[in-house]
Amino acid sequence: MSARGTRCDRNIPPSSGLGRVVQLPGTHVQGRSVRQRPLPPAAQPRSVPGTGGSTHSAGEASTSPVAPLWVGVHLTETARQPMPQALWRLAIRAQRFTPCVSLEPPDGLLLEVCASLPLFGGVQGVQRALWRECAQLAISAHVAFAPTPLAALAAARCAGVPVVRETSRLIGALAPLPLAALRWPEPLLERLVAIGVRTIGQALRLPRAGFAQRFGTAALADLDRLTGRAPDLREWFSSPARFRCCRELPYESASHAQLTAALTPLLEALGRFLAARQCGVLELECRLWHRHAEPTRCVLRLASPSADAARLAELLGERLRTLTLPEPVRVCELRAGEPVTRALCTAQLWASGEHGGTPEGPGAGLIERLRARLGSEAVQGVAIVSDPRPEAAWRMRAPEELLASTGACGLSAWGPAAGRPGMIPRPGQAWPVARRFTARPFWLLSMPRPLRDGEGLPRYRGALRLVSEPERIETGWWDDRDVERDYYEAVDAYGRRLWLFRERAPPHRWFLQGVFA
Amino acid sequence: MPINLPGEGAPPTRLRDGRERRLEGLLTHPLLWRAGHAARAPVWPSGFARLDERLPGGGWPRSGLIEVLPSRFGVGELKLLLPLLAALSARPAARWCAWVAPPLVPFTPALAAAGIDLARVLIVHAQGRHGLWAVEQALGSGDCDSVLAWTRHAVPRQIRRLHLAAQRGGTLGVLFRPAAAAREASAAMLRVAVEPIEFGVRVTLIKSRGGVRAPLDLMWDAALLKAEERS
Repeated sequence: MSARGTRCDRNIPPSSGLGRVVQLPGTHVQGRSVRQRPLPPAAQPRSVPGTGGSTHSAGEASTSPVAPLWVGVHLTETARQPMPQALWRLAIRAQRFTPCVSLEPPDGLLLEVCASLPLFGGVQGVQRALWRECAQLAISAHVAFAPTPLAALAAARCAGVPVVRETSRLIGALAPLPLAALRWPEPLLERLVAIGVRTIGQALRLPRAGFAQRFGTAALADLDRLTGRAPDLREWFSSPARFRCCRELPYESASHAQLTAALTPLLEALGRFLAARQCGVLELECRLWHRHAEPTRCVLRLASPSADAARLAELLGERLRTLTLPEPVRVCELRAGEPVTRALCTAQLWASGEHGGTPEGPGAGLIERLRARLGSEAVQGVAIVSDPRPEAAWRMRAPEELLASTGACGLSAWGPAAGRPGMIPRPGQAWPVARRFTARPFWLLSMPRPLRDGEGLPRYRGALRLVSEPERIETGWWDDRDVERDYYEAVDAYGRRLWLFRERAPPHRWFLQGVFA
Repeated sequence: MPINLPGEGAPPTRLRDGRERRLEGLLTHPLLWRAGHAARAPVWPSGFARLDERLPGGGWPRSGLIEVLPSRFGVGELKLLLPLLAALSARPAARWCAWVAPPLVPFTPALAAAGIDLARVLIVHAQGRHGLWAVEQALGSGDCDSVLAWTRHAVPRQIRRLHLAAQRGGTLGVLFRPAAAAREASAAMLRVAVEPIEFGVRVTLIKSRGGVRAPLDLMWDAALLKAEERS
């Protein structure tokens, strides 16, 4: 028995079902090598939303095992907003169902949802979700499902055709629809009515050659695309590269609470916009337009890309608190910078440092909150510069650098005892503790402060006592800030250790440069 | 509820030794509080063994606000905290060390030489009311290990707010104030006056929950200093 089984296995022809990828309807296929013929768009590798703009063919509905399913949305009424704007907004929202969204101006929208059906609870689920999106935008629309885009659109325009999923039932379902649903030119429709053709079914029954001769090849091509006989090439909708949105306030206002309330829906829209692209934003500009005065600008810079509407609202609220408005605000405008790819992270099971949880650095939340209120220059990191001159041996750096760095910050080549021969340690050798503590002050005056000279010794709030040998720093010839100084440690009347220097060039003035603290 | 005390299980070899051992076990038990000792809040060692003996709990508190009152700016108050700051920034899961409104420029080569990881240091420039706001944000955010703040005017109500924020964020807040502020009431858990002496500082705990209040003369490793002077 087992021997026969083995022989059978060996004799399986390569074209049989075993050994091939078994493809169920509605599943994704991530490569073309499995099949010979080109895949319908639903089965092609998905493109990231927003990178679209390519054109795919969608014609092999009758032959492909994964039949595309198109949703036609026909907008009938848009309250409070013009039709193109409503269509555009709905298209952006519809991108959450599928990247294959196509506009049919002025009032039609097409989605290819075959591969998304299991994710949204089937046809009914997609239908309900679409209606919900329409309701949120205050749009009334008809929705129809069909295997070809034109059929879905025509069915939606006629509002009353049930869902058609099988290609075999398509023509039967389309037959009673009036030809006006195809939006052919008026003279053409009149000529068809003159010969008694009013429905799609009647038009399909006419002989092809004669139809093309009398009514043009364009109309015949439309009918072919309608029934799926010819491929329908469509341009995919891609949402704009940057977010920009305006909102007019119902009344002029300068109150912080009302402004933040008005900005909240804009920020939520921004959050959805970024979520659809899996991106975050680093820079956000809020413009507040007044009746007479120039618009007030308020720029928010983030330390790490964010798409969280609540976090952005909090930071923007802090920022607005610091503004002084010249006039009440009429219109709020939100302009986001370029979307930046955001590292999506999963929540960790263990807290950092616990049970082998990976330690992570502190977050950017604090930096952003402080910056929002105090200005972007108010929060800084510090770094060492390898320069012998004390005033050039440090620099401020942006906190983004700190977030990026792993934390290792090496000592510069400039050590505490530089200038004293024989005291410079070899690379890798540590400074003795006391030497490290005493050789350089912890506080530096940004500008050296001239001291009064009393009988060859400096005075600073009383006489100063020099307690160290001089340390000469004589360098900087390569730029204009050449220094020739002898540095001393001194103790003042209050017992503080100060760091002084005396210029080597006449008139040998004394300066205070640091405090040891 | 029965409490298992350490050392209770071991049978006493001799009566006297056993009693002593049991007493010692009791005295070090975390559930036992003694008058004169603070509640055993978690602490960071200060880096100075003699100071640790005096401080309540044996070190600087891990969360809460402390005040450092130097007789003059720059008498050595920063050096007192440097071992702690260096140890905090060297931990693998180190958080920020925020310096709010420092009066001068922190000189980075000296800080790095003292062992502070500069990648964890944030300098916040803010004055007056904004400065206190920034301190509260930094203390309460939970993103900081320590917050050093220099302020001249802070009323007790504001200090109490800062202390609550520090406890909320699990952060050590250090408020540097002029020595004259020692006369004012304060909600800080610990108030330390710092005066300069030759080669060191005199540390007095003005207010502490259970610490020893007598002044302590703390030397910056005097032996090494003398060696350096000779060389």
